[in-house]
Amino acid sequence: MAMNPAQRRYVGRMIPVSIAYVAAIFLASSLVPNGSPATPLTVAVALVPGLAVVGFIWAMGSYLFELKDEYVRLLEVRKALIATALTLGVCATWGILEIYTNVPRLAIFWVFPIWCVGLAIGGLVNRLTLGAGGGCP
Amino acid sequence: MRNRLKVLRAERDWSQGDLAERLEVSRQSVNAIETGKYDPSLPLAFRIADLFGLPIEEIFLKD
Repeated sequence: MAMNPAQRRYVGRMIPVSIAYVAAIFLASSLVPNGSPATPLTVAVALVPGLAVVGFIWAMGSYLFELKDEYVRLLEVRKALIATALTLGVCATWGILEIYTNVPRLAIFWVFPIWCVGLAIGGLVNRLTLGAGGGCP
Repeated sequence: MRNRLKVLRAERDWSQGDLAERLEVSRQSVNAIETGKYDPSLPLAFRIADLFGLPIEEIFLKD
């Protein structure tokens, strides 16, 4: 299926941000050993992959704003709502488990990946309920 | 809300893709409207009405 202009721009943004994210992770992993003290240098290096994640979020948000097709936008918003509900549910439930039991700590790093899994589940819910997953590649 | 989109499209021998192109929306949008899974916004409903040269209430009908 041909991509609409908003999808083309989304892919055009996600590719360089993804390359930047992978490069930043490699850079941070090679320069900052796990458990290093938080010095200005280690914090600066470790922040770079985080900025790339902000880039992912910017690309996703821009895609939503630029979508002209109202139905496809509805599908994407539904996916984002389902992802947000799943992320809040998982994180809040696990957080309570952490308070009362000795389950392993869930690093905050996992919040964004959980949300992305939620997007995929949202696409599945859209497909099952509306017959279309959404326009986001 | 029911609509006569499929009939009006068939009268003109347009595919869903043809109609989508004329309305500048995706084919899945046209399919969702035709099958009643999605009610279009007022601006899109007006675009549909303009395209078929009919008032909105002759295309979209109350249940």
